[in-house]
Amino acid sequence: MNENLFSSFITPTMMGLPIVILIIMFPTLLFPTPTRLINNRLVSAQQWLAQLILKQMMMMHSPKGRTWALMLISLIMFIGSTNLLGLLPHSFTPTTQLSMNLGMAIPLWAGAVITGFRYKTKASLAHFLPQGTPVPLIPMLVIIETISLFIQPMALAVRLTANITAGHLLMHLIGSAALALISISPTTALITFIILILLTILEFAVALIQAYVFTLLVSLYLHDNT
Amino acid sequence: MPQLDTSTWLVTIIAMILMLFILIQLKFHKYSYPLSPAPKTFKSTSFPTPWETKWTKIYSPLLLPQQ
Repeated sequence: MNENLFSSFITPTMMGLPIVILIIMFPTLLFPTPTRLINNRLVSAQQWLAQLILKQMMMMHSPKGRTWALMLISLIMFIGSTNLLGLLPHSFTPTTQLSMNLGMAIPLWAGAVITGFRYKTKASLAHFLPQGTPVPLIPMLVIIETISLFIQPMALAVRLTANITAGHLLMHLIGSAALALISISPTTALITFIILILLTILEFAVALIQAYVFTLLVSLYLHDNT
Repeated sequence: MPQLDTSTWLVTIIAMILMLFILIQLKFHKYSYPLSPAPKTFKSTSFPTPWETKWTKIYSPLLLPQQ
């Protein structure tokens, strides 16, 4: 039972060749490069979407923070498209892999923090001690703030992994429950099927929301440090 | 839990780095948002010489000495 349930999260290799590389690179094919002044509908729609997201996200940043615009738009589009593609049946979702999410979270978080330390050292160090703390509490609070700083990339990675994995697992379980219940009691199977449909709608929302949350938090860490 | 099997981590991370930091950014940096086309105000950079600022009758082609 255990083996079967988690088998969709094993990194796909075909006869020893890691086809996970092809699966991760597949969303690039869904974003055609604009080559004309006036493009076709698909490219225009994607450009419009990118502009909408960029205006919303980059409004709160200083000019220094806005140099990260390309990085953040690529991040949100990559995570969003990968999550949505993972909702297709029998597909592999790369964002369920802790390795990939750690590989995304740690460099981005470290980049934001190191930028802050390099250009605004005093202000970055001041983040470790909130204003107005009573003097006896200072050592403990510095330790707590350090821990909360270092837990940020871990939380980013694990949040994305856990949310997407949990959603996929739930869909598997409820789907197989509905299938098993058809021969036992069709009404219960119908109810379970309706639950499955509602869950799928939720998963669509979760896919997009998780992309947004990841990018928003990176953007927040950036704002603190520029 | 298969996500904790570290033998595949290197491949996944390298593929993701390639994808996220290179491929997708190459796609998105081609997006351009030009301003709506509007006629540009034409300002001449060359100034007319003093004898060209006033049209004088002697330059009319029919009044030139006939050849």
